[in-house]
Amino acid sequence: MFYHISLEHEIELHPRYFGPQLLETVKRKLFTEVEGTCTGEYGFVVAVTTIDHIGNGLIQYNTGFAVYKIKYRAIVFRPFKGEVLDGVVTQVNKVGIFTEIGPLSCFISRHSIPEDIKFDSTTDPHCYKTVDEAIIIQQEDTLRLKIVGLRIDATDIFAIGTLMDDYLGLN
Amino acid sequence: MSGTEEENAAELKIGDEFLKAKCLMNCEVALTLEHKYEQLQKMSDDTTISHVFEKSLQYVKRFSRYKNRDGVRQVREILSRYPLAEFELCILGNLCPETVEEGVVLVPSFKNRLEEEAIQKILTDLSLIKKFQ
Repeated sequence: MFYHISLEHEIELHPRYFGPQLLETVKRKLFTEVEGTCTGEYGFVVAVTTIDHIGNGLIQYNTGFAVYKIKYRAIVFRPFKGEVLDGVVTQVNKVGIFTEIGPLSCFISRHSIPEDIKFDSTTDPHCYKTVDEAIIIQQEDTLRLKIVGLRIDATDIFAIGTLMDDYLGLN
Repeated sequence: MSGTEEENAAELKIGDEFLKAKCLMNCEVALTLEHKYEQLQKMSDDTTISHVFEKSLQYVKRFSRYKNRDGVRQVREILSRYPLAEFELCILGNLCPETVEEGVVLVPSFKNRLEEEAIQKILTDLSLIKKFQ
């Protein structure tokens, strides 16, 4: 799910930027430093929407850099365990199905796919399907899945999903 | 991160910060990101668009249930009349369940909190907006 939340960030500015365009530089630096990053706590920072407050620059006595505390609001994407989401199938193989939910990669193990939907490597592209071919899951398809686990790294989040519940699967 | 074990969206345990935060439906994110994308395009200098931004934009465009600005506003307005958490409101707007049973499966936190008729009424309102947009 996407959220609109308030966040804080500190910018360190090199003395060569001290001049008339100073605040512009601080803002630009904020965009490049936070947009596209990912933290375990707040998820993926998709886009900064507003800058609420830029604190006074504090000169560091040892480096001469100025430090600015910035309060801003941003759109973030943060998945939670137990959440139901729509994803797009990116890859299908015998271990399971790989999907993307916006910036998040989510893997669905074959053990989390209903038993009657089996892997078929004879088709191109490969797919998961039922014997009667009523359900065929392949690349680019839309899947409704439930997140059962998250692995949170310093700079990325990976999700594990399942199709084993009512109203999940192709839609 | 320490709190991970206790998090469970099904029970609405998503941490205080996110529970109080404004949740956004895919269609709302699409409007904001498209606007920002246009602005970035206009600035001719070397602004690069992050991978996360691009992926998110693609995603919300594909999964927006309501395409125009009015529809999006109406959905939020109508859903806000019900005693829903932000999180529940946005799940409804994103996944658009068709039956009460489906609604309870997709938003388990409804269980024991909302009467069946109340859920039915919410879903009917939602489907009406969709029909008339």
